[in-house]
Amino acid sequence: MAKIVRYECKRLLWNKFFVGLVLVLLFYGWQILTGATILGVAHTAPFSPWSFGDYLSRALPLLWIGALFFMTFFTSGKARRTAALTGAAPMSPRRYALARCTAALAGTALLALACLAEAAVFYGCYFGWYGWGELLVPALITLVPPLVFALGSGFLLGRLRSWLLYLWMLVPFVCLALPLPESLSLWNGSFFSRYPLAADSLDPAFALPTAVLLVQVLLFAVGVGLLLFRWGKQGRL
Amino acid sequence: MKAIRLFPLELGRLLRSRLAWLVILLVVASPAAGLALYTPADADTMRSMYLANPALAGGVIGGILFGLLTVFELDRAARSRVDMLLDAAVSPHTMALVRLMALFAAAALAVAFALLAWLPVSLRLIGIVFDGTEYGLAYLLFMGLALPLAILAAASAYQITRRTDLSLVLFAAFAALSLTVWADDWQLCWLNPCVWAMSDDFTNFRLFRSVAYMRLTWLGILTGVWGISYLCIRCYGKGLPGSLRRGARRAYRPAIALLLLVCAGTAYAAQPFYDHSNPDLNAAQLYELDYAQGVAFLDRTIQLTPDTRSGTVAGRAVYRFQNTSGQGWTACFGVNPGYDLTASVNGAAVSAVRTGYEESNMALWEIAVPGNAQVELVLEYEGFPKDWNLSSTVQGDPEISGKYLCLENQNLAPYLLNVLPGEEGYPTTVEITLPDSMLAIPFGDSEAEVVAEHEDGTRTWRYTHNRAGGILYAGDYVREDIEAGGINVEFYYGRKHQAVMEAAGAADAVKTVVDYCTEHYGTLSFGTGETLKLIQSRVAGGGYAADGASLLDEADFTTANLGDTGKGAAPGETFIHELVHQWWGLGNMFDTPAEDSPWSAEGLTVYTTYRIVKELYGEAYAREHYVDQWQQAVDDYYLNFYVRNPEYLERLPEEERLNISNSLSGVRQYSEMPLKILKAEQLVGGEAAMDQILRGLFNREIDPAYPFLTYQDFLEACHLTEEDLELG
Repeated sequence: MAKIVRYECKRLLWNKFFVGLVLVLLFYGWQILTGATILGVAHTAPFSPWSFGDYLSRALPLLWIGALFFMTFFTSGKARRTAALTGAAPMSPRRYALARCTAALAGTALLALACLAEAAVFYGCYFGWYGWGELLVPALITLVPPLVFALGSGFLLGRLRSWLLYLWMLVPFVCLALPLPESLSLWNGSFFSRYPLAADSLDPAFALPTAVLLVQVLLFAVGVGLLLFRWGKQGRL
Repeated sequence: MKAIRLFPLELGRLLRSRLAWLVILLVVASPAAGLALYTPADADTMRSMYLANPALAGGVIGGILFGLLTVFELDRAARSRVDMLLDAAVSPHTMALVRLMALFAAAALAVAFALLAWLPVSLRLIGIVFDGTEYGLAYLLFMGLALPLAILAAASAYQITRRTDLSLVLFAAFAALSLTVWADDWQLCWLNPCVWAMSDDFTNFRLFRSVAYMRLTWLGILTGVWGISYLCIRCYGKGLPGSLRRGARRAYRPAIALLLLVCAGTAYAAQPFYDHSNPDLNAAQLYELDYAQGVAFLDRTIQLTPDTRSGTVAGRAVYRFQNTSGQGWTACFGVNPGYDLTASVNGAAVSAVRTGYEESNMALWEIAVPGNAQVELVLEYEGFPKDWNLSSTVQGDPEISGKYLCLENQNLAPYLLNVLPGEEGYPTTVEITLPDSMLAIPFGDSEAEVVAEHEDGTRTWRYTHNRAGGILYAGDYVREDIEAGGINVEFYYGRKHQAVMEAAGAADAVKTVVDYCTEHYGTLSFGTGETLKLIQSRVAGGGYAADGASLLDEADFTTANLGDTGKGAAPGETFIHELVHQWWGLGNMFDTPAEDSPWSAEGLTVYTTYRIVKELYGEAYAREHYVDQWQQAVDDYYLNFYVRNPEYLERLPEEERLNISNSLSGVRQYSEMPLKILKAEQLVGGEAAMDQILRGLFNREIDPAYPFLTYQDFLEACHLTEEDLELG
């Protein structure tokens, strides 16, 4: 199992796509940090959980695209043609799918970590600020549910039609253009710029309304469910 | 040759693709998004709303669609697994060139269809201010050039990576950067040029030039990148390094690519539109130079010949000085950074040195002048005027064309920085040669007259004034005289705008404002007569006033505003503000505002504008558009993280620090002070009491040694203290 995971990780991460994606992500992230995050969001500090969340929301479309591209490794026509060979491997389809899923998660997590590390460098260099503990929650709540959902839904759509994955990549941009209600406002990042303004105090501590939290939990659960659904139904990617 | 032969075949194949036609149709339809969904040009002029926005939306959507189509087309052979067969029949390098040309041709077709399809729509929407040249240029530059840029970017990404996924990510990031964090950098926003407004009544050539320059610079850069990517095209089954080595064997290929990159990089760095003025808006080094001892300015004569076709200015300025020191001295001039300068003193050429320092849109030049008692310094200057770099997101000035021209201070003539005036002040004679369709209007109390008519269809105008600087407007203007408040208002507006001005009742609006201020504060008086000029400028988003002249922004009165019943019959508010400056700022002068004080001419001017708007459009409108917005701006200011924690601002690199502090400046003068005055109004007993106080201040006895109206004067007149006006 570990050998398969290592192999899939190598296939997914040790190539020019991953390197290129990381470089693009870092360049894009730096532009956001020095062009938008530096001003702070909703009167809060650039290193507040709100500004940090806004930064992550802006970077999320590229992370989403990256995660879905990882799916194309497993669902493309080329991958389908090799499925006959991989299917002959002496391993249960369920475990093989789990290995691939782990590799995709690892790749997505590495991309997210690159974003986080870049923000750490920015905060350290520009503000001498290193209080990372308070940024953990916004990072988890902003990134984990949508990225797990991207992987889960990507598995499902890729199995139906591989080109659907490319259409699915546009979802964050559609969310950006739509006037979403507050409960969904984490999906286009407007939550971070609006919610603190409604608070009674300046520089409010990071907090999530129940509706927003429920939506994110639901998104995460659906993402996990879609991943599990895939294994149970077909067992092979 | 083979590429030329293959081109029609490839184009024919592309045009048989349903996807290509879908993309073309979507591109043709895409300007519709600019009517409602994507409206970056936010001015109210008809061309901004119905020409700039549709063309910009077409450029953004068309660029993205053609970028995606490019990746799809370039990947077609590999996707169909016929790439090896195709490579065996045609060189992959030739095929890349052919595909690129075919995509360019398809893009050209899409733009041509869009131009045709949107012509009747634009004609109907834009109405009487429609202009065919402006229409064609807007669609070609704002929309058309975006498509080849997107094709080159996407093709380069694919040829280097040879992966659809990575190419799409690269292209998406490149497009997203332009649409987000680069959107306010006029040179970087390759997909969505910085276009905030287009003039209806006058020309927009400066705007077109800067967009064309940006797009052509990117065309050079991306062609260079494409040239590099061309070397990376996989051939003979080799990978990237092997193919690169093979592709670079013909030395001219990398040489052309590198040459393009160097040329485009140079064009980027040496752009002629914006200067490199000190980003610190509080810097005043040019105004703090030591005055030349024993030297007095006598007079100057300026002869100008603007080239209305190329947008350049050539001039000759003769300065006369009296030097009683017997010593040589250095004359310092602030010159538009786009101009080059040569100098001669008493007929002998002298060296004019550009120091390299730029501030407030002026480059500092120094000229060593010998110690003669009488000095005649002749400066000959020529060039394409550069605008102040802080205006780069509101492009369009200075416009110089056969329909409109505006030359302000250092754009008109070198601005003398370190010589005190003699007893006569700054006696100046200006002569300017213009096309005979243009009327020259000095901004101030001078009147220009025609002194010569030339056979080439130009006329020379002459006027005199007595100011250190000077501003000149010229254009295809009509003049309407209005009697109001005991003075004669010479109202100049574009000939094309005549119908709109009449329908909007602009003359009545001007009369209302002048009558209001005269009745409430007092009569204006000017040094040379009771005449006030009100000049309509190109859309500028603001204005200014001088003794005897105020500006009226063309966006104040547009056909679109006429339909906005919520704004009443006279929608213009910029012109109200600039007219009110005749009372506050000119009729009563204010000292240079201290950095930490909100007191300036703007406070009383904004407050008076609010009062007039309240009277014209009602209390609800005035509260929503003035008081609420002041309050919001002041709240935002005091809540801003850097205002509350200045120590963090100090930590930032200088560029970021100045960007942030510049963005925060102005709030206190334009929003906090009017709020304080409004509070004072409540404390002194209401509007009538405040009007009485302001009338007293306007008509007070002026101390010639310090003629400025101070905050203390205002507080004393109100019998209030600074603490009373603290905003809670």
